[in-house]
Amino acid sequence: MATNFWTSSHYKQLVEPEEVDMVNPLDKEKGITLEDFKLIKMHMANCISKLAQHVKVRQRVVATAVTYMRRVYTRKSMAEYDPRLVAPTCLYLASKAEESTVQARLLVFYIKKSYTDDKYRFEIKDILEMEMKILEALNYYLVVFHPYRSLSQLLQDAGLSDINMTQLTWGLINDTYKMDLILVHPPHLIALACIYIASVLREKDTTAWFEELRVDMNVVKNISMEILDFYEGNRMISDERINAALNKLSSSVLYIKVHLLVSFQGHALV
Amino acid sequence: MGDGNSASGNNRSNNNNSNKPEWLQQYDLIGKIGEGTYGLVFLARIKSATNRGKSIAIKKFKQSKDGDGVSPTAIREIMLLREITHENVVKLVNVHINHADMSLYLAFDYAEHDLYEIIRHHRDKVSNPINQYTVKSLLWQLLNGLNYLHSNWIIHRDLKPSNILVMGEGEEHGVVKIADFGLARIYQAPLKPLSENGVVVTIWYRAPELLLGAKHYTSAVDMWAVGCIFAELLTLKPLFQGAEVKATPNPFQLDQLDKIFKVLGHPTLEKWPTLAYLPHWQSDLQHIQGHKYDNTSLCNVVHLPPKSPAYDLLSKMLEYDPRKRITAAQALEHEYFKMEPQPGRNALVPCQPGEKIVNYPTRPVDSTIDFEGTTNLQPSQQVSSGNAVSGGMPGGHLSNRSVPRPMNVVGMQRMPPMQHYNLASQAGMGGGMNSGISMPRGVAQAHQQQQLRRKDGGMMLSGYPPQQKSRRN
Repeated sequence: MATNFWTSSHYKQLVEPEEVDMVNPLDKEKGITLEDFKLIKMHMANCISKLAQHVKVRQRVVATAVTYMRRVYTRKSMAEYDPRLVAPTCLYLASKAEESTVQARLLVFYIKKSYTDDKYRFEIKDILEMEMKILEALNYYLVVFHPYRSLSQLLQDAGLSDINMTQLTWGLINDTYKMDLILVHPPHLIALACIYIASVLREKDTTAWFEELRVDMNVVKNISMEILDFYEGNRMISDERINAALNKLSSSVLYIKVHLLVSFQGHALV
Repeated sequence: MGDGNSASGNNRSNNNNSNKPEWLQQYDLIGKIGEGTYGLVFLARIKSATNRGKSIAIKKFKQSKDGDGVSPTAIREIMLLREITHENVVKLVNVHINHADMSLYLAFDYAEHDLYEIIRHHRDKVSNPINQYTVKSLLWQLLNGLNYLHSNWIIHRDLKPSNILVMGEGEEHGVVKIADFGLARIYQAPLKPLSENGVVVTIWYRAPELLLGAKHYTSAVDMWAVGCIFAELLTLKPLFQGAEVKATPNPFQLDQLDKIFKVLGHPTLEKWPTLAYLPHWQSDLQHIQGHKYDNTSLCNVVHLPPKSPAYDLLSKMLEYDPRKRITAAQALEHEYFKMEPQPGRNALVPCQPGEKIVNYPTRPVDSTIDFEGTTNLQPSQQVSSGNAVSGGMPGGHLSNRSVPRPMNVVGMQRMPPMQHYNLASQAGMGGGMNSGISMPRGVAQAHQQQQLRRKDGGMMLSGYPPQQKSRRN
């Protein structure tokens, strides 16, 4: 249903973390590790965000697009569904679903402007073809619920709706899309985790408020931990690291051989 | 989607012996039943053992020519219909994609009738009002479906008789299905007026606040439309038949407002305080506020005693102030539905013995058209009227309205081979067909109408004077 999360396709499609972290066999063949997989998805989430700034769409469209992209990769391989094309196409599809349609030619224009790399060269036709493939991959489920929706209400209820807290939690929520949390947890719990982190950072005592909520605090704390781990682990990600991961996808057999060789040598050393 | 997933996930649209994509071979195509700017609607039957012979309406969306992919209308329709299930809402049974020509197909349960046709049948064919049981049951089910949508924060925004389908013979006989969700919205965020999105819809069912330039939609706009439809079920005539000004994207439609004011009287600030903030009320004092109507009387127009529950309900649906207008949930609780005859599930067949059952015409099917929309000159299949189920005949109004059916296609076969049926209608039907070639009169008429629809990008309602077109994109 459109507003009742608990009867929505979004709720029914929530998956276990293990399912999200399954690297497709086709990608494994190319040498993509779980870490690569996560990195590429994070990088593509960032790409969507940047592209969205150019074409001026709201954060909700970005969030929906990233969710689509992440859902696609629970079912499809990056080898067959090139992330560099999937990411802008998800933004394209999300812009239609969220009623702020962006023209495909505009996306193509800004992609070309932002990325000089040949591997980002796509034509309008490519986006339109991929749009249909993504619709299929999503099994035509397009309604996505986001943590933003419950955020202001929750903050108000907690008496924390000052501009400072609002901005901080909003920013935290934005960052959760760099992870797969939206595929695993109900959005209001993600919002609560962000409020929890923000209140700890700003030294606001929200213990009593959280206790009164009828939610499983363990889940909220676990989500918070995941978010904090993510910040910790991704402080130092260089472009080279991302490019290396992406190159595995587009590279030929030669690269895989090199990769195998390297890992073989690694073993040999041990 | 669903079981269609395996079938739809293929690119092999060109098989050796046929042009059909694989998924399509699970259906027997019967013919075309409707057409709109988005594409075509077909009637088909399921071949597979389970549900064999079940009728399906397949809405084919054309790829837009301006290179903008799947139409946003199709996206929104899929998006909403994938989330909702209700007895009084049309059921989307499958989605298919043909990658070869980038077309998208939505398959719905087929509905044989719609309120537009039912009203027209009574007005033009039987010259008899629709019986009270049927009116009440249709209205109750319409409200029941709408209450479900509204409680899920979905506004339909384009309710009109042709979008309200009614199931034909079968298990769900006489059950109402709200269809055509192309303009429906989830209103978690305020919605912009349709006019700002460049969408044109028929104005006869449009709420006064929208005509006066209200910036946002609320579910009350659907209730106004239900009021208009209720009145039309009673009188067989559209309640407010304004002439549409099409030139500008301006929502302001003076004639439509005038038609409303004539029946309901002028809105006043006492009864509708926020009226003062509506852009067109302020800006057009002369036209809107100047022309006063006295002696207006809704009850005379709809021939209802002013103290009857039916009249009470209708007037609450046609309340000017959207905040005071009755909601679907409230309407379902209204006294009107509690008194005899009580509404039933099969709206078309009253339970009382002795009541005459009206045989409504089935939907005309043009069996000369294939899925590509091109003319197929093979001997036509005879359309059987059995097992009429229902469907997302979203553009119900777009079918060949004036043909009683079964539609005889002999005339078509005599035509020189044409690539496109449409050319056929252009070429010869004007005079030639009517004057003696063996084609039923209705067919020629229907094709002329399609012709007209094509020109203004909308449609032509056969039952009304020519200037009263309505259109939508």
